[in-house]
Amino acid sequence: MGWWLRGGRGGEPRRGVGVLAALGCVLALGACSVPGAGGAAAGQELPGGRILRPVGPERVAEHGRTTLRVLADSGEREFLKRLVARFEKKYPNVRVEVETKASTDFFKTIVTTMSGEHPPDLVQGNQGYGVDGQLVRAGLLRPLDDVSHAYGWDLDHPGGTTDQLRWTPDGTLFGSGSLYGISQSNEYIGVFYNRSKLSELGIRPPHSWAEFTAGLRKAKEAGELPLQLGNADQYPAEQLLGTIQAQKVPVNESRAWINGVPGTTFATAGNREAARELRGWARKGYLGTGYNGVSADDAVSKFTAGKGVFMIAGSWNAPAVGGKLGDDAGFTVPRTADGRTVAAGAFGLPWHISAKSDATDAAVAFLGMMQSRTGAQAMADAGRLPVVTDGVDMPDRLGRQQAATGKRLLLGDGQTYYFDWASHSMLATIGSATQDLLTGRLSVGAYLRRIERDRAGFLAEQEAKTRGRGGGS
Amino acid sequence: MTASRARLRAWARRQYWPAYLYLLPGAVVYVLFVLRPLLMTAWISLFDWDGLTLGTWVGPDNYTALLTDPRLREALLHSLVFLFFYALVPVAAGLVLTALMVRVRIRGLGVFRALLFVPQVLSTVVVAVSWRWIYDPDGPLNGLLRAVGLDALARSWLGDNATALPAVGLIGSWVMCGLCLVLFLAGALRIPRELFEAARLDGAGPVREFRTVIVPALRGETGLALVLTVTQALRNFDIVWNTTAGGPGHSTTVPSVFLYQDAFVSREVGDAAAIGIALTLLTLTVCGLITRVLREREG
Repeated sequence: MGWWLRGGRGGEPRRGVGVLAALGCVLALGACSVPGAGGAAAGQELPGGRILRPVGPERVAEHGRTTLRVLADSGEREFLKRLVARFEKKYPNVRVEVETKASTDFFKTIVTTMSGEHPPDLVQGNQGYGVDGQLVRAGLLRPLDDVSHAYGWDLDHPGGTTDQLRWTPDGTLFGSGSLYGISQSNEYIGVFYNRSKLSELGIRPPHSWAEFTAGLRKAKEAGELPLQLGNADQYPAEQLLGTIQAQKVPVNESRAWINGVPGTTFATAGNREAARELRGWARKGYLGTGYNGVSADDAVSKFTAGKGVFMIAGSWNAPAVGGKLGDDAGFTVPRTADGRTVAAGAFGLPWHISAKSDATDAAVAFLGMMQSRTGAQAMADAGRLPVVTDGVDMPDRLGRQQAATGKRLLLGDGQTYYFDWASHSMLATIGSATQDLLTGRLSVGAYLRRIERDRAGFLAEQEAKTRGRGGGS
Repeated sequence: MTASRARLRAWARRQYWPAYLYLLPGAVVYVLFVLRPLLMTAWISLFDWDGLTLGTWVGPDNYTALLTDPRLREALLHSLVFLFFYALVPVAAGLVLTALMVRVRIRGLGVFRALLFVPQVLSTVVVAVSWRWIYDPDGPLNGLLRAVGLDALARSWLGDNATALPAVGLIGSWVMCGLCLVLFLAGALRIPRELFEAARLDGAGPVREFRTVIVPALRGETGLALVLTVTQALRNFDIVWNTTAGGPGHSTTVPSVFLYQDAFVSREVGDAAAIGIALTLLTLTVCGLITRVLREREG
């Protein structure tokens, strides 16, 4: 039965020769060079030349028939379908070729795809060290400072909103330096609520944090599940922590920690208070039982089926929630005690132009249209929340609520980003640690320490790498 | 020196060289798509590499880091638990079921066999999603428990630190059971009728028959089943990832979860390669031991 149960009998010398021959072949084929050698070629000049003013149809037409290759997350399909149609109409010599991949596959393959010989001209990345940092470090992205200036993006985004797309050219410092991407998508974590449940319980839609927490208490007393949570995928509870933490810690302090500013730590008084409150919610039964075994998608279906009065989740769940609950669905970001609107959140997946693109003008024109009101309306029509909301028709009541809150967030520069941007492994670290915090297997102190240890290790590694390169690129 | 060279020449003369041409296509594919990636992985495991920019030689550092990482040690323990659920349970269940099916003539055996094999054919993601639903706090398993008054037992099977690991393990048992049964049934068909008759004439009951006829006759199949299931248990990733992602906390992590995270999330490709190589060596060793033990008993 099978070769593995039989010994080679009487075939010893032949086998020896076979092994030797195979090894020889392998060594010849293996080409044992240092992995990554001869890879990226980071150009000194701006690929495609400097952009001085918005790229119009005449300038794009000068290039003749052009194919613009776009690689995006599958969540962008509806948006791109609408935008591409408008773009091809305005720029008739350009044909846009869109390829989309499901998120998990997308993030796995994006970095290697971009390092290939003929990468797509326009591509989505992800903020933080995991994807964008890698792409910048390998010199695969075209800086967009000139484009941003020509189109006035800087003026559209006040304060530090675009810092999440800025890097030093060696990709080691996050949050300052050149602009490498842009996005029309605005995403943040907020509180969904079920209007009919609220009126049953006599709770008014919460405007402030105090009203919200009072609502949780009241729902619990009435025997309802206060908060629907599905945390099997580990990231949703991180969003809960981020929501509580945004109430207690100044936005800049959170961002400084995520950006890796020396001297910052996760074990601050505010974070401790936030973690303690989250643990308290779990202990008081606000989250029900079994949340660590329920997937995020299942939690949304449970919420829309009437299980749970509130649900803390990303604004991008609006189509799923609104589609089932209709006008019963409400959404808000409770204001802080001093009246600010702050939330864990950021731009949606950012767009980048490949440094190897030979269709830079068309790519710039595409981003230009994406960031305009045309792009914003296409985003809204696809059921998502655009960054630009003035003069944009949102499809339903939930969308209008999200747009109003989103505008307040951007104007007040109140998005704290996400903790998992802080290091390569933070998503996994904070995900499993928060599960343990909720069940009480980790104390608040140990929880904060475990997260800080992950980031400290990562920063030390980054520093060693920078030093090893002598600061050059 | 000369003696060995003479022997080599004599050996070369005895060969019918064109025969090797027939081996060539298979050998090329094997070298290109199995050996070459394997050796490249081994080579990469000696570097600190992000998958893009120039790697740095670190020698055996990735391996020492791997040996001292407490998370990986914990993950390896979970793998041992999975060995029980993925390999021992299905093989034992398969043997017992085979013995039953040999004794009792079952109508529509082909249908049952096909049905039991279905989990093997299904994509593991489909399997994981179905079981997530079964184990859900409001799912059918808890519904059943509550219906018979065992409310105290109902829980979030995948979300509870105490039950997550066995719950995921049982999914593996369910998947592998069909494979073992189909293998064993095919083997049992080849057992001569006379053996059963002789055993029964000697007064052997079902237990005796199981021990003296079925188990020895199915040794080859058992070896094959163990090798397949053990490999599956040790490299187990898809079911874990799609049900618990290693959680809650670290309670269901396996080495492949860290391999995935290192390779595709934190992009420490050297570390990931080291885990991959270590896991390959471990699997080969365990499978080698299994075949050796079974072969010795054969001889």
